[in-house]
Amino acid sequence: MFDGLLDGYTRSILIFAGINVVAAYSFYVPFKTGQVSLGQAGFMAVGAYTAAIMTQKFGLPFWAGFLVGGFIAGIVGVVVGFPALRIKGIYLLLLTLGFSEIVQVIALSWDYVGGAQGFRQIAFNRYTLDYLVVLIPLLIWFFARLERSSLGRAMDSIHQDETAAEVMGIDVVRTKLFAFGLGAMIAGFAGALYAHHATFMDSSTFNIMMGVEILMFVVVGGGSTYWGPLLGALFLTLLPEFLRTLREWLELVPVSWMNFFPANRVYDFLHEFLDFENAKRLIVYGIILIVMMILRPDGMLTRDQLRRFSLPRLGRRHG
Amino acid sequence: MAELANEPCLAIEGLTKRFGGFYALNDLTMAVAQGAIHAVIGPNGAGKTTFFNLITGVLTADTGRIVFEGRLLDEARPSRRTVRGIARTFQNIRLFPQLTVLETVMIGEHCRYYPSILKGLRDLLYRPFGEAEDERVMRGNALELLEFLGLADQRDQKASDLPYGDQRKLEMARALATRPRLLLLDEPAAGLNPHETEHLDEVITRIRDRGVTIILVEHDMGLVMGISDRITVLNFGTRIADGNPREIQDDPAVIEAYLGEDEAP
Repeated sequence: MFDGLLDGYTRSILIFAGINVVAAYSFYVPFKTGQVSLGQAGFMAVGAYTAAIMTQKFGLPFWAGFLVGGFIAGIVGVVVGFPALRIKGIYLLLLTLGFSEIVQVIALSWDYVGGAQGFRQIAFNRYTLDYLVVLIPLLIWFFARLERSSLGRAMDSIHQDETAAEVMGIDVVRTKLFAFGLGAMIAGFAGALYAHHATFMDSSTFNIMMGVEILMFVVVGGGSTYWGPLLGALFLTLLPEFLRTLREWLELVPVSWMNFFPANRVYDFLHEFLDFENAKRLIVYGIILIVMMILRPDGMLTRDQLRRFSLPRLGRRHG
Repeated sequence: MAELANEPCLAIEGLTKRFGGFYALNDLTMAVAQGAIHAVIGPNGAGKTTFFNLITGVLTADTGRIVFEGRLLDEARPSRRTVRGIARTFQNIRLFPQLTVLETVMIGEHCRYYPSILKGLRDLLYRPFGEAEDERVMRGNALELLEFLGLADQRDQKASDLPYGDQRKLEMARALATRPRLLLLDEPAAGLNPHETEHLDEVITRIRDRGVTIILVEHDMGLVMGISDRITVLNFGTRIADGNPREIQDDPAVIEAYLGEDEAP
């Protein structure tokens, strides 16, 4: 799809943005029940390695590897979710962090999947973008339905007061496990897509920083509504591209405007700053995170804002 | 059914809960009659909140048993006990701050219409757009309860934006939405002004008239003496008196527990 429309570069950017959107939704589901996971990169790794084993070692087509990868990641999610039920807050963060670390160590030491050499020459999936174009609207639809359903409300109530939710008859244990497993499954799908687009991965591909980035997508975009993960993942993934474009515009400014004292320094600083590579991206992420926590601790989009826009519909629903 | 009417709604036998060496509740035996307003009173630290937590399953008893409607209450988790028909409110209001008033009550309905996650998912997936049938029913029930408690006009407000007295009522509405046959009210008058308290005894009586047995933990003696059919007095985790309001008011042990030995007549 879109073969004639997009050049390779744009295509690649969109694919990574799309995979990040899926990863952001994988964080959003457990977060809806109040579980903050730093281990979504670990579940992506489970999905990615499982899918790659299916396609490379067992010769299955990509779609089968994709489904098995997501399924196995979901099962691992439920298994990890059991101990996660008993703990909250910072301890859950540490548990999921530890899980992510364990997955990395296994990937590093298991020679069957390449060990330290990495998993090489994974068959390239030409249709990654097509998968994303189907998967992302499906996810948005599902979470839109969830937000307006009783199950979604039950998840919100667990997020807001777990004890009160349990006493009101909501099966907190099963709901949290379900959310954790579903989130892991979605992460597994993202990982399977990633592996067959990048065609190479090793133990450090799905590292802890990736888990932190996934968390940031939702924190920046807003975790109280299903649009938040989409917005946050797109914003943070495409931000380097915006800044790169800004730099190109900056270069269009005539030099004669810039060869006196304050202007030339400012120009040089901006020119240097907008030159994006990995380390600097993290600095910018850090700044954004700090600014967000001060100005909009609930993220760019909140459910209250969206509610205000849709008052007529609310009126009819209750009328 | 005649048998059921004689059977107590809740029978408690030898209930004991220790925290370390401290007996929060010591060998408590009592019965709550069907359809009664039964108050449990006592000085601070007498074990009233522990008593509630044991009935709702928030805590587990060390010894003793609780029989609800003739059957042993052996479900471990609070949510299972709520499904059995026991609901409660909290002494320190615990609403869901981000939900609206209507949504809050619908949380209480959830356990009856969506006993499993699969049912929730099925409703989500079978009807790709629009509202599930059960959602509509739940909304109707919730509105009926809000009207019953006089909160219908505030249904779209956030729970945390309500005045304190209304938050207490909303907690009751949420608890009633689980359709309990036994409702535990933990200090419903705490923090209310005299006018709101006066209104409260009418609310509680009307809830009882819906066929709900009520256990009331309360410090406001005016309220307790006015509406209770029976009162159990606890002190240091043991029962020191049990009877109707008049008997309790005249009981020397109760007066001593409340006023101290010196001032007892």
